[in-house]
Amino acid sequence: MLVDFELIKRAQAGEGAAFNEIVLAYRKRILGTINRLIARPEDVEDVAQEVFLRLYFSLDQLRTAEVFEPWLYRLTVNAAYDYLRKQRRRQEYRMSDLSEQQMMMADAVAGGRAEQDERESKKTRESVDALLGAVSEADRILLMLKELEGLSLKELEKIYNINENALKVRLFRARQRVLKAFESVAKRKEPARAG
Amino acid sequence: MDVLHGNSDDQLDALFRAYRHATAAPNPSTSFMPVLWQKIEARQNSTFSFRRMANALVTAALATSIALGLYMSLPRAKSSNPAAYSTYVEALAQANTIETPDIVAPVRLDLSEPQ
Repeated sequence: MLVDFELIKRAQAGEGAAFNEIVLAYRKRILGTINRLIARPEDVEDVAQEVFLRLYFSLDQLRTAEVFEPWLYRLTVNAAYDYLRKQRRRQEYRMSDLSEQQMMMADAVAGGRAEQDERESKKTRESVDALLGAVSEADRILLMLKELEGLSLKELEKIYNINENALKVRLFRARQRVLKAFESVAKRKEPARAG
Repeated sequence: MDVLHGNSDDQLDALFRAYRHATAAPNPSTSFMPVLWQKIEARQNSTFSFRRMANALVTAALATSIALGLYMSLPRAKSSNPAAYSTYVEALAQANTIETPDIVAPVRLDLSEPQ
């Protein structure tokens, strides 16, 4: 945990400086998570502010320190859902459009230049966003929290309030769907590369 | 190394890793905190206004209820206006009191032979 519970208690008591400290401690992490969840860099700050706004007005409901981070993640996921619902702009990639993007991504990863070249990074982002289009919005977010944010099953259990087995099944199915989409793109590309 | 060769699971993991690198957390702008506090204050103000409006409405409703209760509990004087009576029978009784001559006066019959 990035802050101690004393700080949270002070923020609960209405101390603005304490709340500021909490925001500063978690801001970067939340911005990163939202950046991956909504895939629209121009709106990331707005959604992050909404998360902290909700945190501010619900902070008095928090009773124990250990639930703080899962709770903050839940607020983040909910704000991302709300944003996506509002925008209704989940990109519907046609699978035929993927092959070119996948090719670029593969080349970028193979050359180890993904993080160096912004253009290639963008292609990688688009490729993954397109692949994640194979699953529902809820499963996409769940998969991202697991695979990209690196959250453990225990942490996800606390965020989603569902048992580990149900979570595993959901994650497995979501990953299988993404894998299937990934393989179909790869298969289509093989003949193109050979030719 | 080509990411598309080898096990699909590993390739997908490699893709996710590349994605994680490609989507590093953006740096917050300098206006992040001021805008956040502005939003907090705006929400606080709107909540306060709503609460004040709700309180005013409750108070007004309570005052109206008390006023109506008092009005209903006061004994009302009978009015001569027929419209003030609640039933037709009451209005009729008021219009034709027991002293009204056409009801209580003895009937006079003229029994003499007509000439």
